[in-house]
Amino acid sequence: MREEKTAFIRLAKRTDMDPRKVWMIRVGSIVVALLLGFVPMLLTGTNPIEAYGVIISGSLSRPVYIRQTVRTAIPLLGCALAIAPCFKMRFWNIGAEGQITMGAMAATYFALYWVGKVPSPVLLVIMFLAAAIMGGLWALIPAFFKAKWNTNETLFTLMMNYIAIGIVAWLQGGPWEGRKGSQLIPMFDDAARLPEVLGVNCGWIMVLVLTVLMYFYMNKTKHGYEIAVIGDSVNTARYAGMNVGWIIMRTMFISGAISGVVGFIFVSGANHTLYSGVADGVGFTAITVAWLSQLNSFAMIVISFVLAVLEKGSNTLQTRLSVPASIADIITGILLFCMLSCEFFINYRLIFRRKTKEEVAS
Amino acid sequence: MKRTLSVLLVLIVSCGFIFAAGGAETTTTASDPNTVKVALLCIGDENDQGYTYNFIRGRDRATEMLAADGITVEWVTKFNIGEDASCRDANIEAAEEGCQIIINNSFGFEPYMLEVVDDYPEIEFISCTNSASAVDGRANTHNAFANIFEGRYLAGVVAGMKLQQMIDEGQITPEEAVIGYVGAYSFAEVISGFTSYYLGAKSVCPSVTMLVSFVGSWSDATAESDAALALIDQGAVMVSQHSDNTTPATAAQSRGVFHTGYNNDMTGIAPNASLISTRIDWSIYFYEAIKTYVEGGEIPQDWCGSWADGSVVMTTLNEAIAAPGTAEKLAEVEAGLADGSIQVFDTSTFTVGGEELTHAFAIDTDGDFTADSEEAVYDGAFHESVFQSAPYFTAQIDGITWLNAAY
Repeated sequence: MREEKTAFIRLAKRTDMDPRKVWMIRVGSIVVALLLGFVPMLLTGTNPIEAYGVIISGSLSRPVYIRQTVRTAIPLLGCALAIAPCFKMRFWNIGAEGQITMGAMAATYFALYWVGKVPSPVLLVIMFLAAAIMGGLWALIPAFFKAKWNTNETLFTLMMNYIAIGIVAWLQGGPWEGRKGSQLIPMFDDAARLPEVLGVNCGWIMVLVLTVLMYFYMNKTKHGYEIAVIGDSVNTARYAGMNVGWIIMRTMFISGAISGVVGFIFVSGANHTLYSGVADGVGFTAITVAWLSQLNSFAMIVISFVLAVLEKGSNTLQTRLSVPASIADIITGILLFCMLSCEFFINYRLIFRRKTKEEVAS
Repeated sequence: MKRTLSVLLVLIVSCGFIFAAGGAETTTTASDPNTVKVALLCIGDENDQGYTYNFIRGRDRATEMLAADGITVEWVTKFNIGEDASCRDANIEAAEEGCQIIINNSFGFEPYMLEVVDDYPEIEFISCTNSASAVDGRANTHNAFANIFEGRYLAGVVAGMKLQQMIDEGQITPEEAVIGYVGAYSFAEVISGFTSYYLGAKSVCPSVTMLVSFVGSWSDATAESDAALALIDQGAVMVSQHSDNTTPATAAQSRGVFHTGYNNDMTGIAPNASLISTRIDWSIYFYEAIKTYVEGGEIPQDWCGSWADGSVVMTTLNEAIAAPGTAEKLAEVEAGLADGSIQVFDTSTFTVGGEELTHAFAIDTDGDFTADSEEAVYDGAFHESVFQSAPYFTAQIDGITWLNAAY
């Protein structure tokens, strides 16, 4: 009798899955995504086998390409680390884009106007701190409103992005413009550029250190524990005597500060100048990185590198095979979709009506 | 468990097979001395029907011209590159993929291009429409532009003829001969462009005045259309543009006023409004530069094409709506530009603040973005694009009103 009333498909939470099997499903989903990627390639008349080969060789086959790939991965990893504590707390910070931009802006101010006044290492430290503080303050604004009046942080942080981008666009055509009418801020002096280690700006060392620090912060400190409790249940946290508002603001400041540092690495290490699109969508892509890695700091290294390989490789795809860049975006989209949906199947099982008896029996 | 494992293994093995098969590098280095691999990095794509489309046309025509000389060009064309760090990456990639010449088509690409040129001293880098490469002391960086102000002067003559015809036929009073100009930014290239256009119109219609509106973007179809409509509302009966889209032409047509275009023939889109367009024919430069390279010569540090050498061309005149006698007048002025008897910026034809222009510097040498050397005014004219190919005329002459200068 109950059987007839149940829906055709039901969802049930899984709890008992073998961890090895979980990882196999994850790897499998990537493989399936790569196979699905054949479809758009075939539709545009590209040999998919050759195309994947080009993606791999275009991102990893030469030292120059590996360096470019690493340079792409650095901000993704940094920014994923930044938003991880917010997401752990179930505070949906999608404003990393703006926090990166504001950090980059603060660093640029000192790069343009303090160069020559202080020695290069001091200047870089000042730029680093300015970027961290500015990014942190920018993130603190929505956190404050959330803590005080429980405003919607998703919309708030999103809107803050456009304000930040608008401010930089104004600086670009206004007070910081180089040649009049050019809309370009001059390139930084060498003193304001991050030194290179192994051919890539030393930002990669910073983000790797941050990865370790973030792992300890989230797993071994009281702060990390508080964040986890709030994420699970705000009421439990209150009952335990935690000052939820204060923790939200503190966590957002840390998150924004790390995003700000990513902005500093962007302008000082990679672009050597500032423009309104400085964050380049990293603030959003990093959400995927954080989510795919289950907020695990070390998994983020792998995921951000995979995405960087795809991005760099698809550029080469355009160069060598004249594949439109948008096809590469579609393949990236398919990959992300498969990887995220596999998490769904790891966490839930589908129960079809006919099978109910068997499921119960087993 | 077992089943999952076997499925996974099959997938992985097939993937490994795929990558092993496709992973072989396919880069080719041109061994044939008459084959050259050239990259063209573009800010837009052909669909803009304007700026980048004009480059693609130049590329294709140059390829044909070079083929006739027995030179094969293998092009690597990359579209929709931003004026940001992605431009640097595109240059690195073109260099790594074996391109021998790399052409950057947008002004804002140059600073990013210059970041990578020292890593590839054997590759020739070309920045179109900008000015730093020519004077940076490097042998492998080059600039190129053409005297588009000559083409704009000619378009201005066509516009002026039309306005004078309207005055003569009593459709407008002499004071109502107002040109509306949609500019991208208040930037030397744009200022030089609309001033030459205005002077062309004034040479045949003395009472003409001009309103300029800057849209703050090289390519923003909606803003360009809005600016054109606003200019028409303020009395403009002739519209011209220094921006990438065709929307100012359609705006002019919708309000029953006239238009002259840039980069592409717009008479197909606005047959009742668009009189003529001017554009740069890049094939002349591409042909020269690539041929020089193949023959082992040096690509010039700064190259500037002109009306005389065919780098600046006019599209077909829209005879159906142009004033009678325009074609004859145009031929006369064209001949004058070609033999040098007509100077576009003849200082006897305009004033700045009520006075004749007697002094203006051309080049910025100390990097503060203000010109400080090379006197451009001599022999009764301002000599545009003589000291560098990129325009440097920035004076605000009488008769032209800037509606906004925020950009």
